[in-house]
Amino acid sequence: MNPALAAALANPAIWRGGDCAPEPAAMPSGYPALDAVLPGHGWPGSTLTEIVLTREGIGEIRLVLPALARLQAAGRDVVWIAPPHLPYAPALSAAGLDLARLIVVRCRTAADQLWAYEQALRAPECGAAFAWLDLADDRALRRIAVAAREGGTWGVLWRRPGRHATAAAAPLRLALAPQDGKLSVRVLKRRGGDLAQPVLIDVDAPTAALPDPRTCAGWNAPTEPFPHAFGGAARRA
Amino acid sequence: MLWTCLLLPSLPLEVFARAQAPADAAQPFAVTTGGRTPRVVAANAAAAAAGVHAGQPVSATLALAPGIALRERDPNAQAAALAAVAAWAMQFTPTVSLAPPDAVLAEIAGSLRLFGGRSRLAAHVIRGTRDLGYTAAMAFAPTPTAALLFARAGAIGVGRDEPPSPRQAPRAAAAPGADPGFAAALAPLPLAHLDLDLDAAALAMLEAAGITTFGQALALPRDALARRVGAKFVAALDRAQGLAADPRPPFVPPPRYEGRLELPAAVDSVEALAFAVNRLVFELAGWLLGRGLGVGAMSLTLAHERQVAIRAGTPETRVRFALAAPAREPAHLIAVLRERLARVALPAPVVAIALASEETAPLAGRNLGLLPGDAAAAAVPLLDRLRARLGEAAVIRVLPHAEHRPERAWTGGGGQDFSPALARAAGAAGSAPSDPALPPRPLWLLAEPEPLGPVVEARPWVLKDGPERIESGWWDGADVRRDYFVAENPRGETLWIYRDHRRGIDDGEWFLHGVFA
Repeated sequence: MNPALAAALANPAIWRGGDCAPEPAAMPSGYPALDAVLPGHGWPGSTLTEIVLTREGIGEIRLVLPALARLQAAGRDVVWIAPPHLPYAPALSAAGLDLARLIVVRCRTAADQLWAYEQALRAPECGAAFAWLDLADDRALRRIAVAAREGGTWGVLWRRPGRHATAAAAPLRLALAPQDGKLSVRVLKRRGGDLAQPVLIDVDAPTAALPDPRTCAGWNAPTEPFPHAFGGAARRA
Repeated sequence: MLWTCLLLPSLPLEVFARAQAPADAAQPFAVTTGGRTPRVVAANAAAAAAGVHAGQPVSATLALAPGIALRERDPNAQAAALAAVAAWAMQFTPTVSLAPPDAVLAEIAGSLRLFGGRSRLAAHVIRGTRDLGYTAAMAFAPTPTAALLFARAGAIGVGRDEPPSPRQAPRAAAAPGADPGFAAALAPLPLAHLDLDLDAAALAMLEAAGITTFGQALALPRDALARRVGAKFVAALDRAQGLAADPRPPFVPPPRYEGRLELPAAVDSVEALAFAVNRLVFELAGWLLGRGLGVGAMSLTLAHERQVAIRAGTPETRVRFALAAPAREPAHLIAVLRERLARVALPAPVVAIALASEETAPLAGRNLGLLPGDAAAAAVPLLDRLRARLGEAAVIRVLPHAEHRPERAWTGGGGQDFSPALARAAGAAGSAPSDPALPPRPLWLLAEPEPLGPVVEARPWVLKDGPERIESGWWDGADVRRDYFVAENPRGETLWIYRDHRRGIDDGEWFLHGVFA
């Protein structure tokens, strides 16, 4: 390409059809292969993300743990609403989460879950709000997407296996599936850009490409900046 | 010295009327003396418009306004209300004194600079008393007696408006009586407001002689005046001018906040209580601010109508609420109580509410942000909102617990032990053994181990890690004897399964206990 043209195209005001829409508040996921297909090269900091699981127990939570640990190190809370099973404290703690900044909400009715999710998304102290909801209502989903955008919170709506959503209001949708012992991430929907091929990720090996949170993300950084899921250390050792 | 008098002229009425939402103020309402021939003591605006006035017999009042609501005057409630206002006023100055029946005196010279001058402080106080449900008048004077006189006479009093500049050399403190402006302001005040234990005869004698104002009394020869109307009167004049010491007993705030509010009419819906609750919350917030405390837990008691309550078997409904962290912002407390109240089912109409502080803890003032983005603290923390609406058991932190049995190796801090400090300590303790030799643990644990049945044998599962023998708990009846494996099932899911060996080795059933999510 003509260097002058390339320089002109580097202007951030110019958006090209093949690019992803700019995502100002993106945070690195800890997996460069995943960052490459996400808009803004990271998890969107203030967008509702819908993750569709074809199976459970394939490393789906390990995939998001590095980003959660970073948010917690920056002093923000993480809220999990109606998780499918019990979040197991010894494993979460060993994986580097700050349990003092993890709030688990277990409520019965769908209305309460939805209310709690919207409150969490709108709360400024909450950095990430995950919910495992059977949400079929298109309007409720849009409401939640707006709450995530206005609250500046990374919302993840998990779709458990066999409960596919009909509505797809979330601006970013991913599908996770196991493949050859790794996790295959397929982008179902993202803002701008054509859909990429599925990427294969080894969730037990997040790379150290992240900037050190102790220098950029706040004061109470954990002693171990890049938590790895259990087993990962043993395998490397 | 600068004293201010906070006068609550409509206290007998407002003790009741403050519980009323503004929409109900259109209803005529009056307070009476009680007794055999009751008379009106005070009436609200709607009643006054109908022709009701103080001193009127109740029979005449009922003829003028047949729908009027009447309550008998309650001196105890007035005294309690005055004490509550005094406790609330401690947020402005530590020197507060009661001047019964209807005034609070406070020395505010040291607070002017903090609150940005006299007029701003006055606006702040008046706005605050309006939130409490009172109409107040304020007056300022160098002496408490004079402040009270000015307030009773409806005057603003004397005193500089601008905050004293710290660079200014402190002026030699002149005796207040030496200030000519003060003497001039004092002169036209009527003597009738000098509410001392003067006998009425002395005042009547002075009035008969044509002496009704302060200035006229001061112009008389001092000795002669003392001989005729008593030394007490002269001493009172001296105190007002600042020529004699005027000690006031300091008000000591109660160690625990307890506010009670009688509702003008029985209320049978929780929403209608919100307004009255707000009044008490503002009182509580002032009390907390004055003492430098935050409230950690509070209780709201709803008293029911007696007959109905006896039938329902509940004299009152008590709602206790614990906050995640000590707080004193009225908006925060109101939001939390409103959510909590929405979950209360009233067994009977409510006639009175009482708010009490159950637990308090020192709470330092919060620095406000310098730049617009700095004030990131939410009005009401998310945790309190969630717990108020969903209940304390529904919002938990999960913490590790030192125990070998996997289902007991965690605790859910939901109730009393829900403090971030505790969670942090436990989290640090739990993450300490981050030893690479630690056997793997799943991120999801099933609430109950799920029997796998013959599915394990039918389609081969890959055992990736294990066995890890966990054998423990014979002493408490919940003994386990299990071999745990990390297994991958044919669908590619990594699970935590175990073989139960309680009834023998290698023939037990397989269970699913966790998911490596």
